[in-house]
Amino acid sequence: MSLYPAFARPRDLGQAADIMGGLSTGAMIIAGGQEVMPSVNYGALMPEVYIDVGQISALKGIAEEDDGIHIGSSTVHRDVQDSEVIQSKIPLLSYAAAQIGGGMQVHNRGTIGGNIVSMHPLYDILPSLLALGAEFDVLRGDGETRVALADLMRDASHGLGSESLLVRIHLKPMTPGAGWSYEKLKITAGGYGSANAAAIVTLDGDKITSLRVVVGAVSALPIDISDALGGCRGQAWSDHLAEEIEEKASAEISEPLSDHQGDGDWRRAMAGVMARRAVEAAVEKAG
Amino acid sequence: MGEQKSETEGYVGQSVRTIEGRAPVMGKATYTNDINFPGQLHAHILRSPHAAANIQSIDTSGAEKVAGVVRVVTGAQAAEHIDPIPHYIDPAVFGGRSASIRCLALDHVWCFGQPVAVVVAEDKRTARYAASRIVVDYEVTTPVIDSEDALKDDAPMVVPGWDANMIMQVPFGGGDVAQAFSSADRVIKTDVKVHRFSTQPIETRTYNGVYDAGTDSVTLYGTVQNPHPLRNVLSKILRMPENKIRVHAPVIGGAFGMKMHGHPEEGLVCFLSKLIGQPVKWVEDREECLLIGAREQVHSVELAVTKDGTILGLKDHYLANTGAPSSCPGWGMAFLTGLTMPGPYAVTNLDVQLSAVVTNKPGWNASRGYGKEVTALALELSVDNAARELGIDPVDMRMRNFIKKDQFPYDSPTGLIYDSGDYAGVMQKALDAIGYDEWKVKQEKAREEGRYLGIGVGFELTPEGGTLPGTFVAGYDSSTVRVAPDGSVRVLTGVTTPGSGNPTGIAQIVADELGVRLNTIEVVQGDTTTCPYGFGNSSGRSTIVGGGSAAKAAIEVREKIIKVAAALMEVDEESVSMKDGIIASGDKTIDLEEVCYACYTRAYDVGSVIEPPLEATAMFKPGLVRHTPNEKGQINPYPSYSNAAYVAISEVDVNTGEVKLLKFSVAHDCGNVINPILVEGQACGAIMFGIGAAMAENITFDENGRQLTKNFMDYVMPRIGDVPSIDLSHHDSPNPVNYKGLKGAGEAGVGGSAAAIVNSVNNALTPFGVMMTETPLTAPRVWSAIQAAKKAQPQRKVA
Ligand SMILES: Cc1cc2nc3c(=O)[nH]c(=O)nc-3n(C[C@H](O)[C@H](O)[C@H](O)COP(=O)(O)OP(=O)(O)OC[C@H]3O[C@@H](n4cnc5c(N)ncnc54)[C@H](O)[C@@H]3O)c2cc1C
Repeated sequence: MSLYPAFARPRDLGQAADIMGGLSTGAMIIAGGQEVMPSVNYGALMPEVYIDVGQISALKGIAEEDDGIHIGSSTVHRDVQDSEVIQSKIPLLSYAAAQIGGGMQVHNRGTIGGNIVSMHPLYDILPSLLALGAEFDVLRGDGETRVALADLMRDASHGLGSESLLVRIHLKPMTPGAGWSYEKLKITAGGYGSANAAAIVTLDGDKITSLRVVVGAVSALPIDISDALGGCRGQAWSDHLAEEIEEKASAEISEPLSDHQGDGDWRRAMAGVMARRAVEAAVEKAG
Repeated sequence: MGEQKSETEGYVGQSVRTIEGRAPVMGKATYTNDINFPGQLHAHILRSPHAAANIQSIDTSGAEKVAGVVRVVTGAQAAEHIDPIPHYIDPAVFGGRSASIRCLALDHVWCFGQPVAVVVAEDKRTARYAASRIVVDYEVTTPVIDSEDALKDDAPMVVPGWDANMIMQVPFGGGDVAQAFSSADRVIKTDVKVHRFSTQPIETRTYNGVYDAGTDSVTLYGTVQNPHPLRNVLSKILRMPENKIRVHAPVIGGAFGMKMHGHPEEGLVCFLSKLIGQPVKWVEDREECLLIGAREQVHSVELAVTKDGTILGLKDHYLANTGAPSSCPGWGMAFLTGLTMPGPYAVTNLDVQLSAVVTNKPGWNASRGYGKEVTALALELSVDNAARELGIDPVDMRMRNFIKKDQFPYDSPTGLIYDSGDYAGVMQKALDAIGYDEWKVKQEKAREEGRYLGIGVGFELTPEGGTLPGTFVAGYDSSTVRVAPDGSVRVLTGVTTPGSGNPTGIAQIVADELGVRLNTIEVVQGDTTTCPYGFGNSSGRSTIVGGGSAAKAAIEVREKIIKVAAALMEVDEESVSMKDGIIASGDKTIDLEEVCYACYTRAYDVGSVIEPPLEATAMFKPGLVRHTPNEKGQINPYPSYSNAAYVAISEVDVNTGEVKLLKFSVAHDCGNVINPILVEGQACGAIMFGIGAAMAENITFDENGRQLTKNFMDYVMPRIGDVPSIDLSHHDSPNPVNYKGLKGAGEAGVGGSAAAIVNSVNNALTPFGVMMTETPLTAPRVWSAIQAAKKAQPQRKVA
């Protein structure tokens, strides 16, 4: 807590690593500030030091390399939405980024990295990234390590935001012909989601050959329910399957959120409805 | 601002753009928070984190050590200098229990968020930070949260020393209720629970107290709806005469009743400024703004009906959870709910009883609708429930029971005198606008496809321009019209604007009555030093009494101008006309400026026919009000009764409980319309409120009475994407006793539109047998109701 915070603006990753390494607690990385500034203004957050990573060019931009697609952590939502590479190779992500609320300001300033690191249960990016099997490069001390999102979510000591820096996101292009969908249940036009689901499906004829489904906004973190839905493989879309997906998805939510968006029973049920709708839409698109 | 009127007619009745609207839209308006003075200091208030507690001790030393802190004041310290806040509407005047309210708590807190201490510092952040270093030792006691619990024998007392958690219990009604209920075919009971929701102006409350040692006087710059009455309140708190106090309200960014006074911070900044000798400002944050409650009422409406839907009698003993005592006029809302029963319906056998309960939730303030919106919700949901039970169309049931248009003026069983109206005509217009019968066909078709459309109607009677004896809720107001030597016009009026556009309405009236162009008129409001005494903005009154009084003053000034013009032109006064700033007699014309100049400068020759200056102050006091109680002890505090019908079309997603509004229509009667776009803007705004009320806006608490709703993530107001297209029509039956037949247009519509939405959702879910009468209808609630209905009737094959 400090009334008179210091402000650091590293120019490259090396400087950033030095600054983070040289500070004790109380440092806070700031990118677009769409998460940090509301909390500061509200009085809930008073960091000692702000580390503004907005000037580090290595954190910006979207590139297609041999090993997949890289998205710099400081890439803003608008660029994720508009990128041709992402639209054609990972359409699920550009679509999910477009479902973010908050209007133009948030889309133009909020970054994908800030969204990820916030790990906010109601946000729109993590479910798709989890379904897509995203990996991250994380800078800590002076070494970068590659870590899968699924592992990062289990690691409470990742230190992202104060001691370590999210550098870039790695994604594989989606399988050509895969169907996908991101369903977001919002109770008003402006509200955050109350439940959501991302789905990626491949078909052989009308039979499901693979499916990845993640449900979000219903528990503290998004939940990958692909394994629970493993039995769907080999089946064609039917009312029966729809019911099965809905039931199984709901059953996976053992500790539903209960907040202003809605109580736990409803959230659990909505996880099922969103999963069903997402898979149905993905199946329709596949092929 | 362009001139937009047609050549032949006057300005009244025309949709001219607001004269004051441009600056706020361009970001050029000066709001209270834009005003700073040399040496400006900032206050932050430390608030109670408990719903009920005794304050054992307060240690302010940690805060005082923070660099930049100028002063820290506790309740006990403040009490040495200032007195309690007088009530806007003192319950004691009406035979109720009245608590003493201080700007800062003394030794006991009775709600979450109650001010306990204040820090004044050189900047806001420092003040806030320092406040976090104050240590208060609380002895937490058991709070009462629920109004039913508050009335139990063993309930703790919210106000130490009271013998019941009740401000007052008031019966309303008359007739032979027992006979009505025994002769009825059926008695249909509907429990209507209206939740706590408020109004959220974009500009939160802001006050800047500026003490001037030279004159030993204080000026309050603030978000204030009623400057003159507040001056009196401040004089009592500050122990200063009113002539040493000035209240100035700059441009206001929305008020909706919330900026009516009684708030602790108003007197506090004035006191702090005087104590320190420097200006002190306080700006409310959103969390603080959400502390102000309203409308939390539990109704139990019983309708005694015949088979064909005629309502013979109505009973409703209701509880209002008004929270902890407050000096603001909020609690009066609960009173108005009962007074406005049975709304538009010709029911003479009425047994309504209010229990205005206090609890350890934060208190209320006035909120658009002022309790009349809850009347509409309670009535309209009950009528729909009864119609369903009786198997008749909800519209038919209303048409059967409406007061007929030849029954006005109408004496209501609660003592009100309704001025005029054509309720059936208003309802029909709203139905025709939306195509009621066509939607019924669409609904049938949709059901076959497994889609659930709903059609709901709601009616709201909104008494306007209220006045309560012995309070600053006054019926009349005054205005001054001044014409300068150059012919430009200034209207100074006692009414204020919350941003609704009434200055334009008043200017239109003055332009016509005076005979000048609209763009030569300037309207000045909201200052106790420059404006004539007035009561500001409330109860849809500003155009009625501000316009009425300005018209009278304008007529007086016009007479003077005509007299001098006649002298200048050497013609008969009767032959002189004045319109759009052109003065004519036969073929002769003379410039307005030339005449005005002469009025001021030729007092000994042509100007001697009048008394300069060109200025007049007039008062307008509407009729129909009766403050002398009738034989039943009832008064009629309202001169006009605006009313409106709403029709909502919604679609319910039965898998998620989501409600989507597809279409909306409203027909309303606010008497003659001065400016259609202003009225329509207000009507649309009220529908937005209604949508928020019906579906989302909700202030919630944990079991210890701590408020959970803190920001706009929690308090979800409708966005423009939630609003369907709205078909709006006017159906005017002019008020026979008001200037231009006005009835007031700013307040109405929150309850009627919310009721239409709730009714449409229930209508959509008729196949499930769902009937929800507890607001808000959030998706989870709607979904649960469907689930419960499915469980109760598994044989019913739907969805
Ligand atoms: C009005 C509003 C509505 C919104 N609605 C939605 C919505 O509907 N859906 C949704 O998904 N989001 C929503 N958001 C959130 C918004 O998308 C995220 O807050 C935004 O993406 C955060 O990015 P940022 O760059 O602004 O983060 P910042 O505020 O700068 O930082 C956020 C957090 O991430 C950390 N951080 C940032 N960059 C890095 C990095 N490179 N390495 C390590 N740590 C880092 C910071 O330390 C901080 O803890 C909304 C926000 C607002 C203000």
